[in-house]
This record gives sequence, structure tokens and C-alpha cells, in this order.
Amino acid sequence: MIVQSAVLAAEFPPSVEDFYLPSILPWGAENNYWFTKITVLVWVAVAAIIVFFLASYRKPQLVPTKKQWFAESIYGFVRNNIAVDMIGPRGVAFAPYLTTLFLFILVNNFFGIVPFVQISPNSHIAFPAILAVISYVMFIYIGMRHHGPLKYFKHALIPPAPWFILPLLIPIEFFSNFLVRPFSLAVRLFANMFAGHMLLLVFTLGGFAMISANPALAPVSVLSWVLTIGLTFLEFLVICLQAYVFTVLTASYVQGALADEH
Amino acid sequence: MTGQKPPPDNRGDDGPTPPDSGAGMTAVTYLIAGMLVWGGVGWLVDRHFGTEGIFAGIGAVLGIAGGVYLIVRRLGA
Repeated sequence: MIVQSAVLAAEFPPSVEDFYLPSILPWGAENNYWFTKITVLVWVAVAAIIVFFLASYRKPQLVPTKKQWFAESIYGFVRNNIAVDMIGPRGVAFAPYLTTLFLFILVNNFFGIVPFVQISPNSHIAFPAILAVISYVMFIYIGMRHHGPLKYFKHALIPPAPWFILPLLIPIEFFSNFLVRPFSLAVRLFANMFAGHMLLLVFTLGGFAMISANPALAPVSVLSWVLTIGLTFLEFLVICLQAYVFTVLTASYVQGALADEH
Repeated sequence: MTGQKPPPDNRGDDGPTPPDSGAGMTAVTYLIAGMLVWGGVGWLVDRHFGTEGIFAGIGAVLGIAGGVYLIVRRLGA
């Protein structure tokens, strides 16, 4: 009953404030966001991934157990279908990073539809932004190590073109290779998770708003909650897709950094 | 799971580059980037001279042309 009245009291329409959950430590402090549900979820995600892989690889069998098969399938998927497909044979070296990235994003996104958790840490721009920065620094570093710093930037910024068009082209190259990439990586993931959470909130709270405004609207409220369930499945699709897209694009940037001139 | 066959174990530079590594994404980025960069420069020129947007227009068109040229050079055969 208390939970229900809390939901009924939640204001409609939902706002950005709904993403800032109350502080856990210190308990109930105002405007304190150092340790909230979001923080807990990130730690749970990290712990779950570490424990799962430690447990499933502790005694590797030639004929894998179910858990080992599952862990190997995930790693095999990222290594063969993302790393090697995108980067080529050299991609094997990046498979561990890409798998970690993929799983971290996937598990964190997945919190968005776990019942009673239902918010993803990735709906705060900070987490996608840091992930994007890591990928960004990594592909530039890899490019500089592979080609040498000067040659890498020359390769990335100066396209094969006659000299008189270069002033037109170099700003475009700089913009699309070094400014848009981290930005689009971070914003794509953040916006998808933010919008997904917002959508579910609108449909859930909208049901309560309608039923409390006029009991005759109860059938519409029920319809709204049924749609919430449907949208949750849609969210599941978005969650997997975004984790995949982030990983694939990181791999693609690494490939671009390693590509030889031709 | 047929996808589980490990890839051939040559980690060196040999082996063909993968056929499609996000080329579509790169192409779209080039187009938009060209328009934004040179359209933006044109917009600044407009503000400086107090014109109504003629330079922004020219800039956007030039930028798209540059983007198309880049796509052809970088992604074409």
C-alpha cells in the first residue's frame, strides 16, 4: 500500500529529476549524489561480471560445463564476430577489451528492465562519456603506436587529394575523426537509455495519473500498463543493440587507426 | 554453434582487411561533418559581415561537396 501511494504521489509527467535518486550514504541526504542506487548498480554489475567469469573459468574442462560454455560463447562471439570481423586477424589482441566493454554496457543497460531496479546507470551521461573517452584515447594511442604519432595524424587528417582542395577537406576530417566520434559514441548510448527509461516512466505513471484523475479511465490505464510490458521487451532489444553498436564502433575506430595507407 | 571456430592464428599484418568495417557510418559522418564545419564557418562569416546567411549557404554546399569528395577518395575503390 505504501509503495502504491508512493507511485500515486509521483508527479506526472516525469522529469529529469526522476533520474537523480536519493542518496544512500549518507542516508537521505539532499542533493548528495556520491552514493546512490546508480553507484550500487555499477558495482553490482562489475562484481557480477568478475565473479561469473572467475567461476566459469576456474576449472576449464575440455568438454565445457554449461556455465563455461556460456562464458566461452560470449567471448567467442565478441572475438570472432566483432573483433576479427571488424579489425581482421590483429583484432584478436583487442578481444579482451571489447568483451569487457560489451559486457559492462550490456549488464548496466540491462538494469533498465530488471523488475524493481528499472534504471540503467547508462542513462546518466557520465558513464557513457567515460567509456567513450577510454575508447577514444585507446584508438588514438594505438594509431600513434602503430604508425608513429606524426604519420598517424598525417594519415588521419590528410586525405589523398590535390593540394588546393586540402584546406577544404582537413577541417572535415578533423571534425569527423576526432570530434564527432567520442561525442556520438557517448550520446548514442546515453540517449537510448535515457529515452527508454523516460518512456517506461511515462506509460507507468501515466496509467496512475489517468486512474486518479477519473476512475472511468481505468481501462485506458490498464492498456497503458500492458503497453509498458510490451515496451519493456522493446527495451530489451535496444539494450542489446546499443551494447553491440558501441562495441562494433569501437572496433571500427581501432581498425581505422591500424589501417595502412593505400 | 558454428560461430565458435577460432580464427586462423596469424596475428600479424598479413591477411586481408575485413570488407566492411563501418563504412556506412563513416560516409554519413563525412556528409554531416562537411555541412556542419563549413556551414558553421559560413555562419561566423555571416555574423561578422552582418549578411543574411549567404555565406552559411555557400559554406554548407562546399562542405557537402568536400564530404562527397572524401567519401569517394577514402571509401571508394
